[in-house]
Amino acid sequence: MAFIYDFLHGDKRRKPLPAKKKDELPHVRLGMTYKEWHDQAKGRHTWRNRRWAFLIFINLLFVVSFTFDLGLLEGSLSGSRLLGLYLMDPFNSTQELAIGATKGYIPHLTTNFWTGFITILVFYWLVGGRAFCSWVCPYHFFAEWGEKFHDYWIKKRKIKEKTYDITVKYVFWIGFILLALLTGELVFENLNPVGILSRSIIYGPGLALIWVVALLAYEVIGVKRFWCRYVCPIGVTYSFIGELSPINIKFELDKCGHCRDCQDVCLVPHELWFVKKGAATREVHYTGGDCTKCGLCIDACPGGSLSYGIRDSDLIFKS
Amino acid sequence: MSTGKQQLNRRQFLKASAAAVITLSAVGSLAFWLKDKSDVKDKGFLRPPGAIPEEDFLFACIKCGLCVQICPVHAVKLADWDTGLSYGTPYIDPNVQACDFSCDSIQCAETCPTSALHFPVFRSAGEKAVEELYKQYPNRKLPPNVNPFVVQIHAMKRAYKLGVAKVNVQQCLAYHGQGYKGPLTKHRAKMRPPGKGDRIYTDEITVDRKICDLCVVYCPLQEDAIVLKDQGGGKFLPEVLDGCVGCGVCQMVCPTEPKAIVIEPEENPKV
Repeated sequence: MAFIYDFLHGDKRRKPLPAKKKDELPHVRLGMTYKEWHDQAKGRHTWRNRRWAFLIFINLLFVVSFTFDLGLLEGSLSGSRLLGLYLMDPFNSTQELAIGATKGYIPHLTTNFWTGFITILVFYWLVGGRAFCSWVCPYHFFAEWGEKFHDYWIKKRKIKEKTYDITVKYVFWIGFILLALLTGELVFENLNPVGILSRSIIYGPGLALIWVVALLAYEVIGVKRFWCRYVCPIGVTYSFIGELSPINIKFELDKCGHCRDCQDVCLVPHELWFVKKGAATREVHYTGGDCTKCGLCIDACPGGSLSYGIRDSDLIFKS
Repeated sequence: MSTGKQQLNRRQFLKASAAAVITLSAVGSLAFWLKDKSDVKDKGFLRPPGAIPEEDFLFACIKCGLCVQICPVHAVKLADWDTGLSYGTPYIDPNVQACDFSCDSIQCAETCPTSALHFPVFRSAGEKAVEELYKQYPNRKLPPNVNPFVVQIHAMKRAYKLGVAKVNVQQCLAYHGQGYKGPLTKHRAKMRPPGKGDRIYTDEITVDRKICDLCVVYCPLQEDAIVLKDQGGGKFLPEVLDGCVGCGVCQMVCPTEPKAIVIEPEENPKV
């Protein structure tokens, strides 16, 4: 365990680099006031807009394909077929394989299942695991809006901020797999807001939407991004896949002014641990598996210290 | 030595985990309870062709909806909470839209990635039929008027039972010597009438029968599955034969309310 932790999070254990002195901060070097420097990122939503456009495009493609019988992207987010190529939800498939192993069902799974499962694993390893969450998942889209209301009410002091331990999602992940094994049924699928929303969007709304609305309401008035942060086992599965993805959010220490605006907008602020003053242990850091690659931090960063990058490209190609 | 902060973290984690375990057990017991109640047989719904036994179906089906998309007459639907079936699983409601056998190759089963709708059953039945067809002719040479493809599809569609039609004698119009005049169905449904031809909308065509025999006339399998028997004294009654696979077209076109002919879902043997 310790070996794996070191391999994945070894950077956290290194000795931090000395904190920046005042004249090393980017706004001082650029000859700006802190406010001028900090305002550079104001109202910038480049990546968010691109991402929303992509998310809506993908989900509409499902709808259009079904309504007009085009066969471009069929099925739903639980399992789909893109121009004939199957794609499988990794957590669904994991449960399927777990139950299948106990009941001798695995030989019955089709070649399409395996190609779909492997395609998704390889693709999301490349683009960064939980990129699914922010770039495809329809629940994330609504939850992002819910978060805005939540933040507004926090600001107005109508509600209090509550957080839980983030590692509880692993308990849920194991728990849902165990439940699937015990009941011999994909129990999680009954609660899965991703699947429910996806099916409702494509095949018409159903009663199960009540659960999704209740969940959203709880995220707005209760705990910020409750489902995505602490429960969703699909996200956890993608985070396993994306732990060592090549495409990642790259952090450059010398451009960072430690304003920590990025952590305020981030769904998983613990992934940006290195932006705290005196926390970074290298000149360049990359986010880990929990990062959804949504790009909100890139938009929010006044100094341009965060960007999309290839993991460890700075170590491989030293210029 | 653990520091104070680590201890706090551990306590937070344990608290959250306890909450998670309690929630999960609640969800689990609910799932067990619902599983008992979800029985496709009681609800009058059918599973799509090739469905494996319900017990396995519930984990094999990943609720993706590919079978819904591929069905040319949109007979397959995904279960919502109000159906009483396991959420998201596909079903056919023969009262609304039956599986009319007008597809080319039982695509719903063919497209299923997890074999919840088991396609090999159909495939082997089709291959066997073609093989037997070739054997009938010397040197395995088919005459030009015999199309092996037709034979193959024909065999595939008979390879699997969704259920069996059961006649409710007292409801049947033919049994009372009555006819039926009016639209084939009151609601809009799609089907291909037996034999060749394009698909029609059932509410657009009007039928006029001296003795109501719609279930016999519109049965996709025709005399293999159902015939009208004279009972004497101007009374008739449809008789369901062994060939019936329970597609549900007879139930869909039956004009009485409640239906005089209803499909009883049948669970097929484990594959």
